[in-house]
Amino acid sequence: MKLTETTPGCSYAVRSIEGDSHLMNRITAIGITEGAALWTVKNDPKMPVLIYLRETLIALNRNDAERISVERDE
Amino acid sequence: MSEMIALLGQPNSGKSTVFNALTGSRQHVGNWPGKTVEKIDGTYEHKGVRYTVTDLPGSYGLTGNSDEEVITADFIRSGKADLVCVLLDASQLERSMFMLAEFAALKRPAVVLLNMMDIAKAQGKEIDDRLLEEHLGVPVLPFTAAESAGYERLKDLFAKELKTPHMLASAPGTAAEPVKDADTVLRDSKAKFDWIKEMLEGVTRSASAAFTLSRRDQRLLSPRGGKLRCLGVIFAGFLVSMLICMPLMGLGSMIPGLLNVPVADFLNSLGVHPWLVSIFSVIIPNTLYFCVAMSGFVFGVNLVFGYLEETGFLARAAYQFDGVLSKLGLQGKAVCPLVMGFGCTIGGTSGSRVMDSWGQRMLTMAVVWAVPCASIWAVIPVISNFFFTPAQTLLVVLGILVYMVFMIMIVSRVFGRSLVPDSTRSGMIMELPPFHKPHWKHIIKEALFKAWGIFKRALRTVTLISLVFWAFSFSASGDVEGSLLYKIGTAIEPVTRFFGLGWRTFMGFLTAAFAKEAVLGVLNAVFVGQNSLLDATFRTSTMAVTDNLTLAKVMGEVVSKPEALAFMFACTFNVPCVMALTTTYRESHSLKWTARIAGFYVGGALVLSCIVYHLAALFA
Repeated sequence: MKLTETTPGCSYAVRSIEGDSHLMNRITAIGITEGAALWTVKNDPKMPVLIYLRETLIALNRNDAERISVERDE
Repeated sequence: MSEMIALLGQPNSGKSTVFNALTGSRQHVGNWPGKTVEKIDGTYEHKGVRYTVTDLPGSYGLTGNSDEEVITADFIRSGKADLVCVLLDASQLERSMFMLAEFAALKRPAVVLLNMMDIAKAQGKEIDDRLLEEHLGVPVLPFTAAESAGYERLKDLFAKELKTPHMLASAPGTAAEPVKDADTVLRDSKAKFDWIKEMLEGVTRSASAAFTLSRRDQRLLSPRGGKLRCLGVIFAGFLVSMLICMPLMGLGSMIPGLLNVPVADFLNSLGVHPWLVSIFSVIIPNTLYFCVAMSGFVFGVNLVFGYLEETGFLARAAYQFDGVLSKLGLQGKAVCPLVMGFGCTIGGTSGSRVMDSWGQRMLTMAVVWAVPCASIWAVIPVISNFFFTPAQTLLVVLGILVYMVFMIMIVSRVFGRSLVPDSTRSGMIMELPPFHKPHWKHIIKEALFKAWGIFKRALRTVTLISLVFWAFSFSASGDVEGSLLYKIGTAIEPVTRFFGLGWRTFMGFLTAAFAKEAVLGVLNAVFVGQNSLLDATFRTSTMAVTDNLTLAKVMGEVVSKPEALAFMFACTFNVPCVMALTTTYRESHSLKWTARIAGFYVGGALVLSCIVYHLAALFA
């Protein structure tokens, strides 16, 4: 599923990221890489998605979050 | 040539704190050749040896294609720095090591500064820095940048490493050059974090894995209530910064009053030429006043912003307003400078220092100019009341607010393309640092440092602009008719008429660019002729002798309603006062861009005046 469709309080693993090299650079530099574990903290409509990843609370705008696929991590 | 140390770190790594603490006021700010990226160098002396420090632009990595990253990577590769100090955030060690992983490929001598140890400790994180040092092969120093205690050790370490440098023992084995292909970027990033994992093997033990939002975060981040709370905090912050700078402004405003008469008397008694008397008794004291007032503002705003930034509030506000502001071509963080702008444009421009890049910063300053400041809100309703009913005045105020939004959009459209190119423009990806207690000593020191810097640098600029204004408004007889401004104003009235302004209102428009508070005084001078143009412009603080009733009567006879309306809009959306202009120039270090934006505002105000006048004339 897309990162924008995740439920707050649940944990996920990043499966794939779509985008050009510019976006990819920005996303991976902040620590969002394939296989990385994350919690969705807040996912309100029209607001950036808040995730917790590598000990960091990160706000990610919805357009970019759409391009990140994750799977549920039990 | 002294030996050079470069500071490298991600945003929020405390890089500039370390830089300021090391170099103090021995700093030089310029631009990287051909780029709109700030280049900051400084020097310090330690045990009789002089060292140069370069504060490299903040970015998350080194292989991206933004100006900041290309400049930084090229600079490190060039070998100009004898030692690179890489800052890591101990509270988010794994993630912040990405920069180190990128740096490793460049193979240069390094030391690692493990910053934010106080926060990491408070979070119950334990880091075995000896083991990390062993893995990396370069010295690792645990550090808290905002505390002055560790700096002697840091300087000792720099000195030692410059003599016997160490390089990182291993690197992730990925490309060191910017990669154009997205798949490679993705694959490389995984390799980099694998390397980081290897380096951190056995180094960290964190207390808990699960994350819950703190109470305060839940309140600040809620979609609706959070926005209101954020605006409330910013507004309160503005009030506090005003309270802080009021005493300084008060002291400053006494300068002209104290110096005017004694200096004039003294110089007159010496028989000095009236021009010189006028310059030394009016212009110089007034310049001092302006500079004291400006640095007061800068101090207050930096104190409050420093606090809001360090506690982590600013990032929350940016999260809340990113959606709205990105539609205007701005970044979420611009919300604070913009709200501050309603109080004072100087405050807003100086507050723009929270923006991430120089381009974003310059754009934010340009946009803040469009926000009418408190002085405008004090002047416009008074003038409007001369001509219109209270209900109509309310409409004028609303019209100004609507046009403000429009103006912000135009400015960000016109200048955004070159200041923040599309290729670097992107949605918000930002970390929200954990809330933590501010280091007051450090915040106060930085604010004082900023205020003193502005004071020093502004003196020359304000004096220069004041002298130009003085030359135009000086009149030997004291009457308006004797001034150059009058002669030019009446000569070009046919032209200004086209823009909707007669020579008197045009003069008001011009002087409003000097100081908005002066508008009423100047109108009084040109319409009623009670005081000289010079006094009205420069001595607003000491001579509040504007008789509004008489002014209303005289203005109402000479000025038509469309002209009055055009005048109000033109004044509001003209360039801000000299002080804000100077602050913008001094904060951006770019005369070219300040002049370009100022030109746009003056032209825009005249066009606006023209449109308003002719539209209003249709209905009048």
